[in-house]
Amino acid sequence: MNKQINIDATSEQGNVKASFSEQSQVDSGILLELGSIGAGHAATSLSDVIQQPVTIDLPKILNLQVHLIPSFYNLHEVPTIGVFLQLMEDNGCDILLMLELSEARKIAAMMTMASSIEELDPSMETSAIHELANILIGSFLTAISDFVGMTLLPTTPQSALDTFDAILDTFLVKQSMLSESALIFETRFKRLGEDAKCILMIFPSSELRNQLIQKSKTLLNL
Amino acid sequence: MLAHSANLVTEKALIGIPRKKETAPVLASQKQIETSCVIIDANTSPKLEEVRVEMANMKVESRPVELLTSVGSCVAICLHDAMNKCGGLAHIMLPTSNNPLLEPLPSKFANTAVPALAKAVREISGNDIRLSAKIAGGANMFANLGPNSLDIGGKNVQAVKAALALHKIRLEGEDVGGVSGRRITFNTHSGIAVVKSFRGASRIL
Repeated sequence: MNKQINIDATSEQGNVKASFSEQSQVDSGILLELGSIGAGHAATSLSDVIQQPVTIDLPKILNLQVHLIPSFYNLHEVPTIGVFLQLMEDNGCDILLMLELSEARKIAAMMTMASSIEELDPSMETSAIHELANILIGSFLTAISDFVGMTLLPTTPQSALDTFDAILDTFLVKQSMLSESALIFETRFKRLGEDAKCILMIFPSSELRNQLIQKSKTLLNL
Repeated sequence: MLAHSANLVTEKALIGIPRKKETAPVLASQKQIETSCVIIDANTSPKLEEVRVEMANMKVESRPVELLTSVGSCVAICLHDAMNKCGGLAHIMLPTSNNPLLEPLPSKFANTAVPALAKAVREISGNDIRLSAKIAGGANMFANLGPNSLDIGGKNVQAVKAALALHKIRLEGEDVGGVSGRRITFNTHSGIAVVKSFRGASRIL
């Protein structure tokens, strides 16, 4: 009995919810599996672009109360480039690619064949990072849509350079208008031997979630 | 050993034999250290403890501390009591709560955070103390967030100003709007808020 209470308490404090019902465990398993397929393809294409090995963390689904998310990431004042896209058919689904500034510069320099970061033109940098987001998220969505047989097209990217909290803030406010808690699908990419992270966050809308789960279930005869 | 050599030196000095000048080779880097001067900043005060206020939270302090938070389209509200040298900071996310009386997290909404924060500060300082307010935030970082998004930053700022006017709290300073996020440190003792935007210089409110 005590154990049960403890689990509830930790989930309230913002840890990953441990208590999914059986049905939703299957559902989140399906979403995670779809995400892993997408993330694998995205990592491969990122690796192709920069000609370097790329590792990914196991994708996670976080279901947290919205206001606890910044302290969960704990990257408050880290300079970050946030690239934002949406799905063309579904305005409720936000896709956010968070790149640490130093890492983004390095990748942009590799993509534009600049010999050093100092040589990089600012407009070229922005364009390279948009392109990176297009490639990464494009291959992510293509892999998923090939699997479930749905068309998932991203809009054109927009980016902002600011602190991690300030960028995330905008999206959390948007999420909190809809519900108390936010469901985030998250994967982290890392270049081999580098510490800087590149975090892909997706806030899927409930319609998209249901559609994906239904389509996968019919495919798997569940 | 050291004492012995020191004695030798004094003996030599007493006898008056001129000592041989030490000409140890000095590296260029060492010369640099000797000649460079130490810059002492007159404005450097003993650093206060920094207390971070998380999103949709608020903190009130009677001790002199720096309350710290970073906002994008959210708004930070700083209330200060100049008489008792204390104050509080709230980090709000949304303009209005639909159920202001039963809100479980009053610091999340502008219309519930202002009375809650004022009440918490007055619990320290007394009921009829005049409070002054400083606000910062409400930026709009992405030009187009899609069709079902509105200018939340601007709405937050409007709602905070309306709530301050309703509760008769004077707005002393503001740094709102724009396209970049802000980091706010609020000194609860002096009531000075320093707003630092990511690109621009810091501004003192």
